[in-house]
Amino acid sequence: MATAENVRTRRRSAEEVLREALAEIEALDGKVGAFLEVTPDLALDEARAADTRVHAGEDLPLAGVPFAIKDNMWVAGREATCASRILRGFHPPTDSTAVSRLRQAGAVFVGRANMDEFAMGSSTENSSVQLTRNPHDLERIPGGSSGGSAAAVASGMVPAGLGSDTGGSIRQPAACCGAVGFKPTYGRVSRYGLVAFASSLDQIGPITRNVADAARVYRVISGFDPLDSTSSAEDPGNPESSAVSGLRGMRVGFLREAEAEGLDGEVAKNVDDARQLFESAGARVTPVSVPRAPEAIAIYYVVASAEASSNLARYDSVRYGPRPSVRDLASLYVESRTMGFGPEVKRRILLGTFALAAGYYEAYYGRAMRARAVLSHDFERAFELVDVIVCPSIPTPAFRIGEKTEDPLTMYLSDIFTVPASLAGLPAISVPSGFTKDGLPLGLQILGPRFGEDDVFAAAAGFEREIALPDETPRGVRS
Amino acid sequence: MPSHPSTVTPEVVRRIAALARLRVPESELSVWARQLDRIVSYIDQLKDVPEESAAGRDSARPTPFRSDFPRPGAGDRALAENAAVSAHGFGVVPRVVGGEE
Repeated sequence: MATAENVRTRRRSAEEVLREALAEIEALDGKVGAFLEVTPDLALDEARAADTRVHAGEDLPLAGVPFAIKDNMWVAGREATCASRILRGFHPPTDSTAVSRLRQAGAVFVGRANMDEFAMGSSTENSSVQLTRNPHDLERIPGGSSGGSAAAVASGMVPAGLGSDTGGSIRQPAACCGAVGFKPTYGRVSRYGLVAFASSLDQIGPITRNVADAARVYRVISGFDPLDSTSSAEDPGNPESSAVSGLRGMRVGFLREAEAEGLDGEVAKNVDDARQLFESAGARVTPVSVPRAPEAIAIYYVVASAEASSNLARYDSVRYGPRPSVRDLASLYVESRTMGFGPEVKRRILLGTFALAAGYYEAYYGRAMRARAVLSHDFERAFELVDVIVCPSIPTPAFRIGEKTEDPLTMYLSDIFTVPASLAGLPAISVPSGFTKDGLPLGLQILGPRFGEDDVFAAAAGFEREIALPDETPRGVRS
Repeated sequence: MPSHPSTVTPEVVRRIAALARLRVPESELSVWARQLDRIVSYIDQLKDVPEESAAGRDSARPTPFRSDFPRPGAGDRALAENAAVSAHGFGVVPRVVGGEE
């Protein structure tokens, strides 16, 4: 990671790097709206502390790297609101584990990044605070739900950000904004201090401008944590050396079901180009089938909503959150939740409550869980034949702001290609794969088997080297 | 989407909103019902999932437990910093008895 190497070798100070990032934010964020809050004074203290550690001889893998943190992760000293009214003013008691590991590695936190409320959305339009705009075209969405982190990284305000991914919320915005977004295997990164949305799916991961940086951040934040009971003790592998290993001989399967979905013409051509590129780099390319993949959205909206309705039952304005004026406890619950949650969050809570209600449970939740197990089994069989699976990250380029807000189901289908890996708990990365004729970014998604991060990074870095896209400032924020 | 008998009716919305402790005004019940019913109709494509399948494969993994013992935490400080109303180290809530149900 260039920024960290410069600070580690004392070519630049962390303070100097931070001041440059703050100047970029000052210049660009008025147009983009990536940050809910920027905390320059706290960041300056952290940058100076990183410089002191470097001078003392500490080897810091993320020395002085300015980070945007999605607003659903605890950072001591800052609010964590999930861009929701119901968490306005909430100050977490400590750092989340992922943030604590970044801090130990010398990273500097510049601000809280915007998101869809409680990470429920694909466009960041569900934030209760503000819109975030795509740095390539300010009239378009940045994707979501980690749209603030993706837009901040893609526009060059910061070199890296953390997002969370429940059904595609790292990969989809990374693809929309022309950044790299990586969701690790379920259990690789501790969720301690990540506000829960759907606990069998949620995973934290990096958004960066290249694959090597994503590998570095992933290496820092992954690994066992006793504070998360789903945390895996598996060795996290060696993502950084995998990223230089090349594509020759790698078995690359192109997902047959993705191409049967009636792809947007430019997305289909982009996937064809990628296929040729893998072939010419010496990979063994074949079609591969995951028969239940087209049902993933239906499964996801039952499972994720059911879990969300349970997880969000805790919000009642008793211990934190704005307190409405009411005369009894029952009214406090109802009024705080009715005022505090936005329409999309209410929709998911209602859908999840429906799927778990007596009389519907078996027909919806039970059936979705069976279909999820079959989908996981489909992937296990596919990975007997190939090392990685490739498909588009997004079915269309970033759409216009407001285009899908009145039609929730159409919005949900934006995640058709990212949700399958989430349901099966697999590692998956979105890598920039070119632009439409209108200059909008497209992303290629690469999935690996459970705990197969090394293969994912090898394929992603190889593809990135072969396609060699220029690292330019997006035109929407060019002055 | 083909027409079909609605699974999610305004009455169903009223019932699940009460379970979820959300207030949905009478005037909005039918809008919510229509939206949710469209989503539920889409989900109904899962009807052909076999009853006997690979289910249980994932749930067969044991739930990991860690040892459970008390240790000092930031609870008191966090409550004092975040609760809308607190007194003597406790959060204060409106009256419990005699309210609406």
